[in-house]
Amino acid sequence: MTIGSPSPVSVGIGLRAPHIDEVIDSCPAIAWLEVHAENYISCGPALRRLERIRENYAISLHGVGLSLGTAEGLDSEHLRRLHALVDLCAPMLVSEHLSWSMSGGVYLNDLLPLPYTEEALAIVARNIDIAQEALGRQILIENPSRYLSFRHSSIAEPEFLAALARRTGCGSLCDVNNVYVTCTNLGLDTAHYLDAIPAETIGEIHLAGHSRVLRDGVAMLIDDHASRVAPPVWELYRRVLARIGAVPTLVEWDKALPPLAVLLGEARAAALTAEQTIHAVAAG
Amino acid sequence: MPLPLDEVQAVMRRALLDGETGALVPLIEGRELAETQLAIYRNNVFASLTEVLRGTFPAICRLVDDRFFAYAAHEFIRRHPPQRPCLAEYGAEFADFLAGFPPCRELPYIADVARLEWFLNAAVTAGDTAPLTPSALAAIAPEEAPRVVLRFDPSLGFLASPWPIDRIWEANRPGGDDGAAIELAAGGVHLEIRRRDGAVVFQSLDRATFAFRQALGEGETLETASARALGVNAEFDLTGAFSDLFREAVVTGFEIAEVPSL
Repeated sequence: MTIGSPSPVSVGIGLRAPHIDEVIDSCPAIAWLEVHAENYISCGPALRRLERIRENYAISLHGVGLSLGTAEGLDSEHLRRLHALVDLCAPMLVSEHLSWSMSGGVYLNDLLPLPYTEEALAIVARNIDIAQEALGRQILIENPSRYLSFRHSSIAEPEFLAALARRTGCGSLCDVNNVYVTCTNLGLDTAHYLDAIPAETIGEIHLAGHSRVLRDGVAMLIDDHASRVAPPVWELYRRVLARIGAVPTLVEWDKALPPLAVLLGEARAAALTAEQTIHAVAAG
Repeated sequence: MPLPLDEVQAVMRRALLDGETGALVPLIEGRELAETQLAIYRNNVFASLTEVLRGTFPAICRLVDDRFFAYAAHEFIRRHPPQRPCLAEYGAEFADFLAGFPPCRELPYIADVARLEWFLNAAVTAGDTAPLTPSALAAIAPEEAPRVVLRFDPSLGFLASPWPIDRIWEANRPGGDDGAAIELAAGGVHLEIRRRDGAVVFQSLDRATFAFRQALGEGETLETASARALGVNAEFDLTGAFSDLFREAVVTGFEIAEVPSL
């Protein structure tokens, strides 16, 4: 990025273990890096390397294990360790998911779907209150990729996110790929979904790749973060930006990890898309 | 009345782990697709946790074939699912599980190789501590010396096996020579595993030194640890063994145990 034509959107990449050494050694030009909190929550060399990265980059901490949707309440030890990590790397953003992973003392290591009911809303809001209180800051809540809905859900997902923001002061992390995957799998309207998230609550956008599979004769989209961002997801990204303006954007890639240069190229594509979209809106 | 959330989650947990989907399917929109949709979540759970186990137990992966590992991991995950979100700490029971897993009966050493890999994994994430210099012990009165209890580097682990698991592990690590002939009757090993200067290493100890260090590592007094070492080898050089602990930067602190009341 050259001075004089700054991109209106700050674009980061998800930093995964195989790229860490290269990032430390080559210091690529990227606005910020997002790491999965759970990979750094134990002591040891991983944490030392994160401290080195912190010297050159702003960090966004993305939790995948807090299980904000769990009816049993949060794991206080995990929250304590997360707090220590937040203190250590003073992240620009902290985020988690609208999902659950803990039940009966078992951690299922997936972002499992909630029934969207008044009861669940109260539980998730209470857990977010506890987390924000413990961490001493706002967190952003990401919409999950979903493969099923519960029959007794009575609230649409974007309205559920909006209600959480009203009740707890949390923000939203709008994962545009997840919106596309969920809406395609469950027969929902993507435009309607995106327009229902209050603009002022969106603090970050995620972009990633998905794949299409045939299971029992049914086509499903799987949110596997194993490829480039798909064209319809770029389309939705433009739609969100046109509506809400510049928001920090992250490109994620987790499986079949490409060379760092490819991931940085996707980040440049996101910055370019954002610039064009926002200029087009400004030009009317 | 719909089920309360904690029950929905318990029902879904059982559907994912044990395949008991009967109570969950009626709760899902468009039931005819429910099993297909659930299978995606179930696959996410088992595939991601199997990947974690592959990362923690790479030599076990090579000792058995890939499909067998996936099968063993699946059974393990069902019986011992993680209890915490920190997956670097998942797999503590895997070695014991393999020891009691009937299909592994032909590989009697496999559980000890898994124990070694678990120690190596634990050493990676153990906390950082600064070693103690021997001068710190200068203030100890001679009559207190037998009651000294040392604190060891938290990455330290001790593992004894009747099998040459160090050589089995070497041959089965990535890039290792898995065609190397290993004489299983070559006898056992007494290993000390630790992290030093950021790298996890292990060394083979003689039986008396192993007994000495393992006892100290378990928080026994110098007197007890010495007695154990001398029980193994009456000629054991206690002074040399004690100074080796500092030369190898094993000790990070100490205290004096209370005099046992009679």
